[in-house]
Amino acid sequence: MKRYSQTTGEVGESSDLSPWKTADALDLVYVGYGLLIVVLVLVSYVLGAFTWLPYDPEQIRVDLLNAPPGSAGHLLGTDFLGRDILSRLIVGIQAYFLPGLLAIVISLLLGTTLGALAGYRSGEVETLVTYFNNLVDSFPRLVLILLVIAAFKPGIYYIMVVVGVTGVPAVASLIAGKIEFLAQKNFIEAAHVLGLPSRVILLKHILWHHCMPLLVIQATIGMGEAILIETSLSYLGFGVQEPTPSWGNMVQAGANYFFQGKFWPSTAPALSILFTILGFHLLGDGLNGILEGSAGK
Amino acid sequence: MKLAATKPITLVLARELALAALLLVGVSFVVFVILYLSPGDPFSVLLEGQISNHAARAGLREALGVPRTWYVQYLSWLGNLLQGNFGTSIRTGLPVFGEIARVALSTLYLTLGSMLVTLLIAVPIALHSSVRGTTALNWLLTMLAYVVSALPVFWLGYVAVYVFIHQFGVFPLTARIAASSERTWPFSLLPIFVLGIGNGTVSEVVRHLREEMSRVMGEDYIRTARAKGASVWRHAFKEGLLIPMTEIIASKIPFILGGAVIVEQVFNWPGMGRMAWQAAQDRDFPVIMGIAMIAATLVRLGSLLQRVVYVAVNPRASNERRGAAWAE
Repeated sequence: MKRYSQTTGEVGESSDLSPWKTADALDLVYVGYGLLIVVLVLVSYVLGAFTWLPYDPEQIRVDLLNAPPGSAGHLLGTDFLGRDILSRLIVGIQAYFLPGLLAIVISLLLGTTLGALAGYRSGEVETLVTYFNNLVDSFPRLVLILLVIAAFKPGIYYIMVVVGVTGVPAVASLIAGKIEFLAQKNFIEAAHVLGLPSRVILLKHILWHHCMPLLVIQATIGMGEAILIETSLSYLGFGVQEPTPSWGNMVQAGANYFFQGKFWPSTAPALSILFTILGFHLLGDGLNGILEGSAGK
Repeated sequence: MKLAATKPITLVLARELALAALLLVGVSFVVFVILYLSPGDPFSVLLEGQISNHAARAGLREALGVPRTWYVQYLSWLGNLLQGNFGTSIRTGLPVFGEIARVALSTLYLTLGSMLVTLLIAVPIALHSSVRGTTALNWLLTMLAYVVSALPVFWLGYVAVYVFIHQFGVFPLTARIAASSERTWPFSLLPIFVLGIGNGTVSEVVRHLREEMSRVMGEDYIRTARAKGASVWRHAFKEGLLIPMTEIIASKIPFILGGAVIVEQVFNWPGMGRMAWQAAQDRDFPVIMGIAMIAATLVRLGSLLQRVVYVAVNPRASNERRGAAWAE
């Protein structure tokens, strides 16, 4: 998972100005586009979950093969078996949405716990967490997943547990860095002097008030990566199997037609992957620029 | 010899080597645990298809003296690994180490080449935007880096194959297998470029390099260099470009190796990635296990190299307690 550098601004003793008012215009555009994609994915997920679709995604129409996008009734055309591409794209979201959320929850929960441990208690605990982070980072994620697939032939949710664990180091190191930085601040010292229990300071003052933006940003990035993993696995044939659509296996299934010059059945899901992942990346970077005041431009 | 007389780089190198070894032991333990928890222990996996009778298997275990406790199993397995004995492939029946060694070079070739391509794209964009600030051209280039990083690499592979092979007939499809050995290298450029562009790290590399370069450009010693008319580039190169470049590349090795799995699949490239895919398909556990170990070793080697470069260009570093802590 990608990680951002910590900035050394006056976090904690914050200014009264809302970060949204002083935000860079470009960051706002990024966040706007990202939110648009999030809404689209959410709406499509609900549509797919209730199967409110224009067509049955698995219905084969021999009389309507490779219809171009924009043809009557089929907004995005049909694929090489005459199946409606728009319906298949919408249903394809089912393949990654909930599994992706699971991966994010695991990364954030485990990462925050380890990060808080490392940041608040230096010494041996910190060394252990660092070791764990470096250990997880030693595995190429896809290779680790293939290893787990070979061992257990697991379902997508179990694979996403692995993806979640591989996302832990990024979150843990961010949170630890943030806590180490905040621990020297006046308001934390004041809280200690006032006799507040460490648990309250850590959970409320540090994590709740000052790590939330960071976690939201990591969540958006995590979703982008979960999509990448799911589509890659489906492409490689380890994810959702035909005829159930997922964006990855749609690209793969269209390959032979692609080489015959019928690009659309592969390209439509590829573009969906592109615009969606781009949306989550830009949302993360935009939010980072605005909320964390990074010199990310 | 007094400790102070030892060259700092030797000391740091020794410590990093020890750390890398410690991490690789951890990696082997994780791999072993996955193997141990998988249905059927390692020895029945190895015996799979050879002896079907359960009692006969148990008898064989006794006869071979297979240890019962997990830690004895782990230690003997680790001992075998250290001797280069990775077991036998279930599919081909050949020793895994030889099988992997046969294809490892072509994967190294692919990944190193694609790293170079990534840098060739990212460095100019990062330098240009850190020097010139936000201009229309910069914004366009940065957007391009974002788009390229979100591209699904398998689709990019299809486009490349279609354009170059089907339309222009430039590269034969099964490049490395079909081509005669002395004409191999030009054909392998296509997958290298596809992986270099599509490994999903371009925008992060651009971002990291730009941030670091901008930071260094604002440092006092650059201002001094500028004031006395010395070359700003020569002063900014080490800290502003060389160190961040090695840092980011070392931290992206896992991604590039992962991307290689897909690109090798698209291009039918006979490498470790394709072998890993095949092994996962066949549940050929010894092979995928060996590949995981070797991939992790490559990742560790990469960060070791990064530390060496860091210490070599920055002698102060040996005094810092930065170590591997939070360094990427």
